[in-house]
Amino acid sequence: MSILKTDFGGDRGDLFQLALKTGLLTVITLGLYRFWQTTRLRRWYWSAIRIGDTPLEYTGTAQEKLSGFLMAVIVLAFYLAAFNAVAMFTAIRLTEGAPDYLTWAMAATPLALIPIIFMARYRARRYIMSRTRWRGIRMGMTGGAWGYAWRACLYWTLTILSLGLLWPVMTFRLEKYLTDRSWFGDAQFLQFGGPGMLYGAVAPFLVMLWGCFALVIAAVITGQALYGWGLLLTVPLTLLAAISYRVMSIRLLAGMKTLGNGIEVDIAPHAGRLIRINILGRILTGLVVGVVSPVVLGIVFGLIYLSGTYDPAMLVAPPPTIAAVLAIATWLTVFVLYGTCQHVFVTFPMVKHIGETFELHEPTLLRTVRQRARADGRDAGGFADALDVGAAF
Amino acid sequence: MSGFAIRNPALAAKLARNYAEMFDGQTPVSQRVSITVGDQTLELTHAETGVTHSWPLDALRSLPDQAASNTLVVARGDDHTGRLVIRDIEAARAILNAAPDLPPLRGPRGGWRRVGIIGMAAIGALAGILFGLIPIMADQGARLIPPDAEAALGQTIYTQIHGAGDTLECIATPGLEALEKMQRRLMAGTDLPYPLNIRVVLDPAINAFALPGGHIILNSGLIDAAGTPDEVAAVLAHEIGHVANRDGTRAVLRSVGSFGLVGLAMGDVFGGSIIAGLGRGVLDSSYSRAAEERADAYAVTMLQGAGVSAGALASFFERLQASGQDMDLGVFQHLSSHPDTLARITAARAADTGAGQPILSPASWAALQGVCGQTTAPGADR
Repeated sequence: MSILKTDFGGDRGDLFQLALKTGLLTVITLGLYRFWQTTRLRRWYWSAIRIGDTPLEYTGTAQEKLSGFLMAVIVLAFYLAAFNAVAMFTAIRLTEGAPDYLTWAMAATPLALIPIIFMARYRARRYIMSRTRWRGIRMGMTGGAWGYAWRACLYWTLTILSLGLLWPVMTFRLEKYLTDRSWFGDAQFLQFGGPGMLYGAVAPFLVMLWGCFALVIAAVITGQALYGWGLLLTVPLTLLAAISYRVMSIRLLAGMKTLGNGIEVDIAPHAGRLIRINILGRILTGLVVGVVSPVVLGIVFGLIYLSGTYDPAMLVAPPPTIAAVLAIATWLTVFVLYGTCQHVFVTFPMVKHIGETFELHEPTLLRTVRQRARADGRDAGGFADALDVGAAF
Repeated sequence: MSGFAIRNPALAAKLARNYAEMFDGQTPVSQRVSITVGDQTLELTHAETGVTHSWPLDALRSLPDQAASNTLVVARGDDHTGRLVIRDIEAARAILNAAPDLPPLRGPRGGWRRVGIIGMAAIGALAGILFGLIPIMADQGARLIPPDAEAALGQTIYTQIHGAGDTLECIATPGLEALEKMQRRLMAGTDLPYPLNIRVVLDPAINAFALPGGHIILNSGLIDAAGTPDEVAAVLAHEIGHVANRDGTRAVLRSVGSFGLVGLAMGDVFGGSIIAGLGRGVLDSSYSRAAEERADAYAVTMLQGAGVSAGALASFFERLQASGQDMDLGVFQHLSSHPDTLARITAARAADTGAGQPILSPASWAALQGVCGQTTAPGADR
């Protein structure tokens, strides 16, 4: 057989337990446990994905994630302080009676973070790759986070200036940059093809996007609200077309990737399926959170009643302590349940669907692949954690 | 094997053998091996080539948090990248019998030590930046800002606070004249980089604010609560102290300088913004404590210079404490940003020389108390 197919061997019940348990621990430790939560959930998902019957393995540790996060906090704190100082003094120098420098300087900080966010994403991906193993062989990525950051800034600027026409160029070039730096053992991934192959997929999205622009311009020029109402139709369609383009581009690009001496990898998720999973999963999450939270709140209220501190006047003017207890109980219940349900109803079926479409062609060539050396974690994705631009888990 | 008796011992041994898939950690090629449990080792014999690997039993580890229940993956805890994938129940049982409490695989050693060291460094760096670097930066910035820009900034903030339309500004002419008189007497011989712009707003809370650039706001509640005009003068002198020290400007520059920093440490924790908000509160109050003490000292000197009893400051604090609002007087209303009221009363009393004459005549004091007889929407720059 010349194709290795993938199956997903996880059970929702197991995942529910793991997500609930780690979610509670995260809340109890004021968020500190989240590094362990992420690590444990990754281990679980990785082990559920079995390519040619052999599960993936995630070898990252929570301690290295925590150290990486702390290191990123140090670096970012100095960076932000320095940037704020420069922004502040520049604004003061530029001020000639214009009082708006405060808003001006505040608005500049997020801009300063944009290249850092791209850098953080590259490094987070690099860390995850370096901690992924299959059949005992490590994956890995070579350096290039800053190269990625400036390219991403450049391509985004070009895309915006061209009103989206250069979007496929950005998609292709950034994906090629990432792919060509990815390795399985000593075998390199390579991206072939060109931006041209993505134009068919991007067309519906661009048409919708320009339709939105046209409606906004028409509404502004004519002053008629009717055009504005048109956005209610075109904006959701644009979003659907955007998701569809994203998924189709992943398929098209995967079809042009090779590994080492002629091994081919393929991944073919369906946009419709992913959209359905997301809509259904979010509705289910909402239902569970909406039904279970009041029950938990009822139990807390019952405990307060039984403890004898209840007094009818509390309904009108609850004492601060009791109001705080109720508010915190509600918030924590919603937080933990929401996170758990997201995993069970959204992440699980998405990973399952995407994973099951993965194929590896010409597996006999795997015997030419050799192990690569262990990479140190460095920041272990800490920049992405500190900036809150991490993935779902 | 009930019912059968296998006469050929070699065949029987072969049938009883357990198999697993081995990955040697060097190539991604699956090797089918038979498992023999020895005293100290697991003997893994390649089914085709007959080559045998021995894995020490005490180095065997299980992988934690595994999803698949029908597969057992055994790792080696001794830095060996090899893996054994067992799908056969008999084979799994044989290994679990040999190594009953297969411990979970752990990461490399020294993880906690690293967390500790970097954690200390992170706390030190954040504290250094927030309590050292940024206050210095704000002081430098406050010195560099042209007075015009500072006054314009104060006006913007005043409009932001009171421009929403709910509050009214009190503008009864006799009252404003009395306030003017009070200001003139306090300011005699004092030089500020910009003119004072004192306003009274209709607000029952006992409070007063000093914004950047000489803008001072007195709440009508403060005038109502004061027993004597000297007490109002004492609060006004305190706020003028903030203006002279450019505390309002510094507070704004500090918040520009620390923008995004407190939230950083919280990362993507739930409710991170709430904790970040609390962190900011603590930060602000620690910055302000020293500023309040300086403003108090400034007020005492100013009152003495104007020939007013410095005890007025003390008696106003006593009044505040009695009303239970003793935490509520300061720049930007920062909770608990004021030094212990008790300590301030003591300090102000100590500075009281007993001498002094009222800052306003009874008639002017009555006029000031009636300043809210006429009101207007705020925002106009007088």
